Amino acid sequence: MLNVYLFQTLNGLGLGMIYFLISVGLTLIFGLLNFVNFAHGAFFLLGSYLCYTTVTLTGNFWLSLLVAPLVVGLLAWLLERSLIRRIYHLPHTFQILVTLGIALIIQEASIMLWGPVGKSVPAPDLLRGIVRLGDFAYPQYRLFLIGFAALVAVALWLLLERTRFGALVRAGSESTETVSLLGTNIFRLFSITFALGVALAGLAGVLSAPLRGANPFLGPEILGVAFVVVVIGGMGSFGGALAAGLMVGVVQSLMASLWPQGSSLMIYAAMAVVILLRPYGLFGRA
Amino acid sequence: MTPKLTAPARGDNRRTGNAITRRRPAATTLAMFAVVVALPLVVPSATLACEILIFAMAVLGCNLLLGYTGLLSFGQAIFFGSGAYVAALAMIHWQVGLFTALLLAVAAGGLLALLVGALAIRRKGIYFVMLTLALTQMAYFIAYTLSDWTGGDNGLLDVPRPPVALGGFTLFDLETPLAFYSLVAVLFVLIYLGARRVIDSAFGSTLLAIRENEARAAAVGYDTRHFKILAFTLSGAVTGLAGALYAMLLNFVPLSNIELPMSEQILIMTIIGGTGSLFGSLLGAGTIVILGDLLSALWPRWMLLLGVALIAVVMFMRGGLWGGLEALGRRRAGASRKTQEDA
Repeated sequence: MLNVYLFQTLNGLGLGMIYFLISVGLTLIFGLLNFVNFAHGAFFLLGSYLCYTTVTLTGNFWLSLLVAPLVVGLLAWLLERSLIRRIYHLPHTFQILVTLGIALIIQEASIMLWGPVGKSVPAPDLLRGIVRLGDFAYPQYRLFLIGFAALVAVALWLLLERTRFGALVRAGSESTETVSLLGTNIFRLFSITFALGVALAGLAGVLSAPLRGANPFLGPEILGVAFVVVVIGGMGSFGGALAAGLMVGVVQSLMASLWPQGSSLMIYAAMAVVILLRPYGLFGRA
Repeated sequence: MTPKLTAPARGDNRRTGNAITRRRPAATTLAMFAVVVALPLVVPSATLACEILIFAMAVLGCNLLLGYTGLLSFGQAIFFGSGAYVAALAMIHWQVGLFTALLLAVAAGGLLALLVGALAIRRKGIYFVMLTLALTQMAYFIAYTLSDWTGGDNGLLDVPRPPVALGGFTLFDLETPLAFYSLVAVLFVLIYLGARRVIDSAFGSTLLAIRENEARAAAVGYDTRHFKILAFTLSGAVTGLAGALYAMLLNFVPLSNIELPMSEQILIMTIIGGTGSLFGSLLGAGTIVILGDLLSALWPRWMLLLGVALIAVVMFMRGGLWGGLEALGRRRAGASRKTQEDA
């Protein structure tokens, strides 16, 4: 019985790391650019599909870990330069509507390209087995997922806390104007951050593909969860996204066998309560 | 000054003087009457005509919030879906008549909107939007969980379409699509005229003031929260009615009626038709429902065009289809005036 809970908790941590990767991109973009990206779930979806295509063409999952985020990030970069840049100064309402349009286009285009039925992606050969610890068995891929996502999280933390780029992003989140006045090309910083945030959603899509496949309806579902995580963690907060992502993942996983709709109901209720009582999130700065 | 979700053209118009702005609603009301009468003759089926007016009703409700009060609500599906469920369940389990069912739907939509509004307006901007989104998701999962009542994923089946009856006497049967259309049309016209009156009243002007600058409206002494909650309630009541009529049209309530994409669909119709224009609501719902009917068989991915249109409207044509028509009309009027001067 205890093993079942351990199993579900580990599953939850894996799911939570995926949620973290999506949400940290969303929160990064919101923090620096003060921009609300409703197309974030669609980019996740694109990541999953690109993973599927890479695996079918080359049989190499590892390649897709590199290709999919790069392609998604490049697309985001182009989109930022051509369209997104023109709406930064508009109220959030406009940003929501434009990115909703982008999400619709990506979702419908994905169905055109890959068909309306979901595609399943096999785990890489190397990780298809299970790990045994006494009488406890656990799929290798899920363990890899937790470890790999943790590595990405550390790398991202180092990038934000220990590099010049990270310092600019953090400073820009406080005051874009000051950073701009100090001689930084703020628009280039915006483009790179937007592309990076979206590429992280693409990476999350790749990592989730062997678990949930690539399915056109995952986009809106994931976007909803990402907003829950970002709100609970506090908009713009890195640590908040990690803590809230893991929390939501574990709660969903533990309740999956008991009452799956109940877990969704709970997380959205938690989101509403947090906005009403602590709008800066449980872990965010007031 | 922050730009708002309305046609820049409206501002120009207001400046051109009172006579024009006062005459224009009368003209659009006449146009609305013409559309409602002509619709079943023009579109391929009376069922499609019903669908257009039902969505136009929901869009009117959404427009009251987005176009006239400046509130982007993802909660419209809650009111639409709950109106549908309440009317359908009352008809199935209590055998209530047509008007009782519709009134219950209005009450359910209005009451839920009062609650949603009272909660959501405690926050502004992005947090307001997120709250309406969270509440819609909650409503969806509640409906999903209460599958004994709502039928869950399978939807609520066998929803009747009772006749128009008075004191037990059947006055008017609604079985044929055209007969049902006449009921929908009468209700739509009543709501349109009602909305016109609300917009033109002092209450409507206050909503516009909140949209333009809430801080200023509050500084003048209006309790803006009170006004916003009232706008929500009206919007929810109208949307709930639309939901109930939609359930009667389909004889069925799919779970998707209370799902987030329903909110998005209503919002997209509102924006493409033209925010801040009642006739624009009819235009938006009509265009998208007809496009969907024509294209979905030919090209199932036609929704892609909606995405493009949504971006185009926000980027280049804030007034939507209605704003485009207005600009066109102004240009022609300007041109003819010029030729007169030349002559």
